[in-house]
Amino acid sequence: MSRRGVKIALHYLVLLLIAASTVLPFVWMLFTSLHGQRAELPTMANLFSPAGGYHFDNYRYVLTYGELPVWRFAVNSVIVTTGVVLFQLALCSLAAFGFARLHFRGRNSIFFLFLLTMMIPGQVLIVPLFLMVQKLGWLDSYWGLIIPYQYLSTAFGTFLLRQFFVTIPHSLDEAARLDGCSELGVFWHVILPSSKPALATVAAFAFIWTWTDFYWALLASSSRTMRPLEVGLSAFRDSYGMTCWSLQMTAAVIVLVPVLLVFLALQRYFVRGVVTSGIKG
Amino acid sequence: MILAAAGCRDEREPTEIVLRVTDWGSPVVESDFMRIEREILEGFEQQQHRAGRKVRVQKEQIPGPGQYAPKLTMMYVAGCAPDVVHLDASCGALFIDNGMLMDLAPLMARDPSFDRSIYFENVLNITRRGEAVYAVPLDFTPMMMYYNRKLFQQAGVPFPRNGWSWEDFLTTCKALTVMPPGAKMPTQYGFNFENVLPFWIPLLWTGGGDVLSPDGRRASGYLDGQATVEAVQFLADLILKHRVAPSIAERKILGGDAFLNGKAAMDLKGHWTLIDYHAPDRQLDVGVVGLPTRTGKPVTIIYVTGIAISRSTRHADLAWEYLKYMTSAQVQIKRVASGLAISGNREAADFYRARDDQDNPIEAEFHQAVEYARPAWGATVENFPMCEAFGQEMMEDILYGAATVPEATRRAAQYMDAVLAP
Amino acid sequence: MISDRPRNNWRGYLFIAPATIYLAVFSLIPVAFAAYLSLHRWHLLKSDHPFVGWGNYTALAANPLFRGAVWNTLVYAMASVPLGVVSALVVAMLVSRPLKVIGVFRALYYIPAVCSQVALSMVWIWILLPEKGLISYGIRFLNLLAETVGSIGGMDLSMFHIDLSTDLLAMRGWAMAALVLMSMWIGLGPRMVIFIAGLQNIPETLYEAADLDGCNRWQRFWYVTLPQLAPTMLFVTVTTTIAAFQLFTPVYMMTQGGPQRTTDVVSFHIFQEAWRKYEAGMASAQSYVLFAMILVVAVFQIALMRKGLDREEAAQ
Repeated sequence: MSRRGVKIALHYLVLLLIAASTVLPFVWMLFTSLHGQRAELPTMANLFSPAGGYHFDNYRYVLTYGELPVWRFAVNSVIVTTGVVLFQLALCSLAAFGFARLHFRGRNSIFFLFLLTMMIPGQVLIVPLFLMVQKLGWLDSYWGLIIPYQYLSTAFGTFLLRQFFVTIPHSLDEAARLDGCSELGVFWHVILPSSKPALATVAAFAFIWTWTDFYWALLASSSRTMRPLEVGLSAFRDSYGMTCWSLQMTAAVIVLVPVLLVFLALQRYFVRGVVTSGIKG
Repeated sequence: MILAAAGCRDEREPTEIVLRVTDWGSPVVESDFMRIEREILEGFEQQQHRAGRKVRVQKEQIPGPGQYAPKLTMMYVAGCAPDVVHLDASCGALFIDNGMLMDLAPLMARDPSFDRSIYFENVLNITRRGEAVYAVPLDFTPMMMYYNRKLFQQAGVPFPRNGWSWEDFLTTCKALTVMPPGAKMPTQYGFNFENVLPFWIPLLWTGGGDVLSPDGRRASGYLDGQATVEAVQFLADLILKHRVAPSIAERKILGGDAFLNGKAAMDLKGHWTLIDYHAPDRQLDVGVVGLPTRTGKPVTIIYVTGIAISRSTRHADLAWEYLKYMTSAQVQIKRVASGLAISGNREAADFYRARDDQDNPIEAEFHQAVEYARPAWGATVENFPMCEAFGQEMMEDILYGAATVPEATRRAAQYMDAVLAP
Repeated sequence: MISDRPRNNWRGYLFIAPATIYLAVFSLIPVAFAAYLSLHRWHLLKSDHPFVGWGNYTALAANPLFRGAVWNTLVYAMASVPLGVVSALVVAMLVSRPLKVIGVFRALYYIPAVCSQVALSMVWIWILLPEKGLISYGIRFLNLLAETVGSIGGMDLSMFHIDLSTDLLAMRGWAMAALVLMSMWIGLGPRMVIFIAGLQNIPETLYEAADLDGCNRWQRFWYVTLPQLAPTMLFVTVTTTIAAFQLFTPVYMMTQGGPQRTTDVVSFHIFQEAWRKYEAGMASAQSYVLFAMILVVAVFQIALMRKGLDREEAAQ
């Protein structure tokens, strides 16, 4: 093989090794979840051939087991995440439109303030937010899980959308205005339809951040029926500890699959979003 | 509609009352004990049904070591506390002294069918604050010294007897430690020391020392006081100097419970370990004796599981019925049949004492210890769980050789002072 | 152009109102409330909240456990940030060569970053499990290697035999190393993606000029790539540092503050203060210390980089 060929092969090899290190744990997780409940932790030797065949019913078991209702955790996660994503799309797109298209006093200063809030670490907010939410009576309810902890999404989403809106040609606006559209009309009929990729990006980030949120979800939910998947999963781990790896991994796979699906479908947007914030930020 | 379905209380038909009871432990582990618990709960539901009430007991188990008290507290803070609580008295002060639990004294006074004397008096006193009673004993255990009779017989060492001294204890440990020539570690240890403060704190007491001052407000002067330092040194020497107890590294290699596996001749545990010791596939021949003492006076610690009612409950009467049911003799006899603990109900406790093997009266030994046992600090001192963590870290530092006993105790005392009186 | 766009369109306020109100209520007010809390003794279960002024802060300065947490956080950052940034840059360079199926690799490397940290912690507990975890295979391999080779240059390799029952998460120092490694594994994707974009933004002309000057690969990297990447490096370093200071879930799931407090980082300390000791006032004070740490580091890094940039410009 030519020297160049060797280099390319080596190149791919390194990349493959790194990819393997990323993928291997997930493969292990998946196959462990198919082992029997009483089985020992699988070794490399028997990972792919569990005693008693593949136990797909682990999934049914984990989802429906009454004491730790994983299906319920999943429902909670879906409700909370959908709520957040819709809320974010509404809030951020409206605000971004205002910052991008309209002129008003203090516009740049307020936008700068938005960006500044991204610097605030979550730890500073969590304790006072908890007390505030407690006073509102929102603890252990969907309100408390959805509304309070979205400051990062809001600031980031507004920033992202504003950067995008600015690139939309004004000629489209003018055309709509000539047709008699108000600002809201321009927003609804011109800007939003042209912004699907950017909106998808905001939705993708909001989805991931909310679905995988642990700290706030841990505090805002107390009773078992309110727990979202992340928190329920840690309770799962507490329950099984070192005793039953296969069921733990089953629960972990259940938690991970939606996120992976969303990611694989929207990965373009993740990359775009990360890049926009990095390069232009 | 979805948002209206949010919230903690599980309401189905208006006529069914759901009584929420929290307990610690993992909800997923199937065992005989869990089955018995479920039967007992169903018994209560049936009893209520016969009285014309539709009741469902929803048992919520909160898993994870050290998670019960924090998660339960957060339920109170969030306003969705359960109706009935299983209270580990050794972290009970937090709940009792912050108004989360209902005073049971008025309920007791109002109920003519209730007889307070069914409980052991000094166990009941642990959750009292003056005239108010915040929990009744469900079950309890004093901590005792277990010894493996077979290993003692093999070594020709006489069984330990109450009133034995620290010197006796050390001699016994040495006699029962087997170190083959050329081996890296003993094949049998005299004593299975575990660095769990709730297990070794009574040994400090037998030496006349203690972690905190008598009023529970300070650790300085007590944890690092002479008596305690000597007691801690004695414990550390068992491992570091005399090698009659496994070191931290050796514990890892041994894996599992050394006493249970027959690799250690003595262990300091409570009643619950009898379940494992007497398991059909193990059948350890164990005896039980009080702790060795340096002061001449016997002392040990007693751990109590109480059952309490939340102040915020909407079903106080039903909760009270549940409480009476759970601590009644019949239910208790069934519940502790496995050997879990000594029943808080005297009648049930005596039932099992009557069944003692006359050659090896284990229950009698436990009962005897109840007379002189002291409650855990956590029953009266709110932040004691944090002090426990500091104490265990202190012991770890000593056992790793990272600090001498006086240094480690002084540092730990400072940390404890900081959380006791911020 | 169109001149009828008003200079001060009050409707702008309407559009930004929902988001602004939201941020004001759920971000600015809590920040202020946290400052207020930090000046009080505020126990979650008690109704008495006395004002203590700077008392919490002075107690923190004197508290060796908190100082230890700050130190642990700094150690973690100092280890994980350079590793994370460099590894991401290296992988980005590997990945942005014109090779096919690059998109697949990019997606694969990104996956851990979007996953639930709870699930990832469970996976890493398995990886580090003594005897049976993934790492034990590596140890077995190394032990085997040492045995077969026997000795090198007179040095007996058997002393490198690692005990299989070693529990890395229970060993001081090693637990922290494990967390650093885990964070590198998780954060690789997003960092790499930013570097890829930064690399793609470097004009080809600069490389051509360097080639004309007869630069070798290393010189190309040092004199063209790196300087051009400086703003990107700054961004990645700052964001990675800020994230490193806030490490929480792996500590909560895997070490609980670690063997003898070696992985007790500030955010975990805050968690324990607020939700195990129920002291909201002290926890808020601690969180402000964290905030200050983040600001100081971010400002410092930006200033440092800017000085570097200025010097670059002056040199050119």
